[in-house]
Amino acid sequence: MIRIAAVGDVHLDEDVVGRFRPALEELPDCADVLLLAGDLTRHGTEAEARCVAREFGDLGVPVITVLGNHDHQCDQVPQVVKVLEDAGITVLEGTGTVLESPGGRLGVAGVKGFGGGFAGRCASDFGEPEMKAFVRTTNESADALGRALRGLDCDVLVALTHYSPVPDTLAGEPLEIYPFLGCYQLGQAIDSAPTALALHGHAHHGTERGTTPGGVRVRNVAHPVIKQAYSVFHLGDRDHVD
Amino acid sequence: MTEHGTGPPDEYVEAEIHRMLAEDPAVAEQGITVVRRERGLVLYGEVESPHRREEILRRVSERFPDVPVTSDIGVIRTQAPTQVEELP
Repeated sequence: MIRIAAVGDVHLDEDVVGRFRPALEELPDCADVLLLAGDLTRHGTEAEARCVAREFGDLGVPVITVLGNHDHQCDQVPQVVKVLEDAGITVLEGTGTVLESPGGRLGVAGVKGFGGGFAGRCASDFGEPEMKAFVRTTNESADALGRALRGLDCDVLVALTHYSPVPDTLAGEPLEIYPFLGCYQLGQAIDSAPTALALHGHAHHGTERGTTPGGVRVRNVAHPVIKQAYSVFHLGDRDHVD
Repeated sequence: MTEHGTGPPDEYVEAEIHRMLAEDPAVAEQGITVVRRERGLVLYGEVESPHRREEILRRVSERFPDVPVTSDIGVIRTQAPTQVEELP
């Protein structure tokens, strides 16, 4: 069994530093890894990334993250990534990593993802250059996630995104903004590999549980949704994945 | 169009406040809901600190001094979980 802790959308700045730490100190007793589902910061500044490094660094368990849309706001992504990596946090973007844990080898593939909408009610790669650029961003992001998932050699495979791969976990959000909250292409990428669990954030008014069309369990771990410092999932043994 | 101070704010004011909550760097919140009520606007949602909650109301009142705005924004709890989810 592999124990996974996860939270997204913590939106750290100086005023939040220290709020998560008491709960995080308990992590080594209850989890083998902490996954962060993006929107670590408010505006994506290097200074805010240092707040994230202070709050989520030196936890006694590996920390793996993707970035979210807020982490892109100030166009300082390389600086943000460097601060996080210097603090020992693994940042995924169309990439994956494998961790040795007492319960087996955990593979995590991650990407920020993008909007676009869900099957039958989504944007198309057609028309104005701006619309085509939007949808191509969606497609490229999902393709990168699929490649990363299929490329991992591990016992249990987890997908980590900021945007949602399914509409199920958006229930509670206005229907009109679903296309800005996720896209079906991420779900398709998750279903293209033997994924055991998909974790995402971004939808603050959404709900916790859903599944992809292929049957993969999806959890929205946005902090306003889970209303606790992090959620913990116990993933059972699966057949070897490669 | 409803004049400020003489009745409930109109849809354009609601839209402007909603965008301000996301785009004003001092706020940068996308998870706040603006609801029009008979006597003005109510802001709902949850933020990460009491400071942010106060700042939202201050910025909105400053920018729209004639719009009656009340806030029902909470601060998200950060306690450790007491239960795990088993996924066999």
